[in-house]
Amino acid sequence: MTALTTGRRSMRGRVLAQRWLLGLLAALVGLLFVLPAIWMLLGSLRPGSDVIGSVSPLSWNTLIPDVWTLDNYASLFGPLRFGQALINSLVVGFASVALGLAISIPAAYALSVFRFPGRELVFAVLVVGFMIPFEAIAIPLAQIFTQWHLDNTYIGLILPGIGNGLAIFNLRQFFLGIPSELHEASRVDGASEFRTMTQVYLPLSVTPVINSALLIFLAQWSAYLWPLLVVSDDNIQVAAIALSRTFSDTSFNFGQMFGGALVISVIPAVLLLVLQRYFTQSVATKGLK
Amino acid sequence: MEAVQVIEAVGIPQGVPTPPRPAASPAAAREARPGRARRRRVGRTWLMAAAFLAPAVVTILLIRIVPFIGAVISTLHVRDGIGLLAEERFAGFQNYIDLLSDPLFQATLGRTLLFNVIINPLQIALALVIAVLLTRRVPACGLWRMAVFIPCTIPLVGSSIAWGVALRADGPINGILQALGLPTQPFLSSPTQALASIMLVASWVGIGYWMIFLIAGINEIPDELYEAASLDGAGGWRSFWSVTLPMLKRPLLFVLVADTVANFVLFVPMQMLTGGGPQNSTTMLMFDAYRRTYTYSQPNQGATATVILTVVMLVIVFVQFRLLKEDAR
Repeated sequence: MTALTTGRRSMRGRVLAQRWLLGLLAALVGLLFVLPAIWMLLGSLRPGSDVIGSVSPLSWNTLIPDVWTLDNYASLFGPLRFGQALINSLVVGFASVALGLAISIPAAYALSVFRFPGRELVFAVLVVGFMIPFEAIAIPLAQIFTQWHLDNTYIGLILPGIGNGLAIFNLRQFFLGIPSELHEASRVDGASEFRTMTQVYLPLSVTPVINSALLIFLAQWSAYLWPLLVVSDDNIQVAAIALSRTFSDTSFNFGQMFGGALVISVIPAVLLLVLQRYFTQSVATKGLK
Repeated sequence: MEAVQVIEAVGIPQGVPTPPRPAASPAAAREARPGRARRRRVGRTWLMAAAFLAPAVVTILLIRIVPFIGAVISTLHVRDGIGLLAEERFAGFQNYIDLLSDPLFQATLGRTLLFNVIINPLQIALALVIAVLLTRRVPACGLWRMAVFIPCTIPLVGSSIAWGVALRADGPINGILQALGLPTQPFLSSPTQALASIMLVASWVGIGYWMIFLIAGINEIPDELYEAASLDGAGGWRSFWSVTLPMLKRPLLFVLVADTVANFVLFVPMQMLTGGGPQNSTTMLMFDAYRRTYTYSQPNQGATATVILTVVMLVIVFVQFRLLKEDAR
């Protein structure tokens, strides 16, 4: 009896010890990842020269400022006009989502509801066409856009982001799962195809629509190569490029750069945290049941 | 990131069953109608489908297919002179021969492959280990998951800035090395360490990003499978190999392919931090194509590098699909 209890206790003890060991490991990994981000955050809240100035000798002061200031953010949004770049990024992001959904939803609807010869071919062309990674054709496409005088325009920034193969693919797979009786019933009631799409199909498809919107927005928000190629005018430049330009500018200080890097991370961070379940919710990772 | 989504779409069509349609579908009823009415009906469906599809099809033609064909055609021409205004003439495969026989380009190609052979397995293995660790019931698990997650919301520009400053000669990483009594390192300014430093910049944001997909995949695995495994006497290590790993095949294939594409077209850290140097040690195909086109004003050679990049990448992605699909049987 006693032997049994001690045996059980030692086993419980081992499980508990293992849990704490894993917990310690998890904490270590977490700290390793988050420490540089914390260093950036605190660095953006101290005078710019202190970021490097505090390194030697190494102490708590290297991480934690002794002088706290919001000057970096004040000059980012004041004389450096980083606010304008952020607005440009937002305009490009939201316009891309609106246009992207406007072309993807009808395409996905047609590919799932209409039966016409060549349907599979059109679907294959759409998916394979978008298979070519955008970066790989960005350089030749930028030369074409320059010839069409789309460089230094919002349209030039927005257009390449609106076609998204995965958005069309996910929407189509979801639409295929909607019972065709609903479609027939709506048509018998005299609704047009367009009305059936917007009034019957879309209300049922919140998840894939949010997923598609998120894919399009995040791709545009983090775009770097494309705006670098087609925009040279600071007035319409997006935030990512505006920030990287300042990196090579010697008059700029590290505190301001850290502040700018954090500011452009806030929107994706919030979107990913709130909508994480939609982001991973794609047929590719889960499969269809 | 866009590459991610595109490739994600690639693998699915084969394995995905289309939901079965009811036998007495309206289309079947339609087919029973007399020929003329039916033909008119089909024609109208065609028109309707064309109207719904046109915007997407025009977009894809305009922003993917036409420029890619244009790029391929321009690789078959050379310019007598430098720059976009120089006269072009047809030259067959001259550009490909020139590039592939250039020792510098060969080194770039080899370096791109080496970089991918190291960084992709490394990022995915770490993302998997951390995903498994953070889905165990450990104290304050949500907090640590958030901690790993935070960097992946930082765009590569932000990561490049953070590590560009951290790895400076007078930066905090060298400060830590010094405090530990170790010699300081040149990192990004050394031909032998710059590539590894670039891997760090990409991995700090990449590992957390891929981890999200793996955690979602792990959470989908039914608990009963683990219970059954532990009834059969499997320990944690054993159930990882025979339950977790096989059940994660689909998200792992997606992450592997998407990560490969993302790293093949990696551009930001090289452009911001090293400019491909020192001594070309961080020049990879994507940066090489950019530099040939914009810095050296040789757009035909730049396009050739782009096409080679695309072909090599697609071959590797294809092999990955085949290997993992075979494995599934």
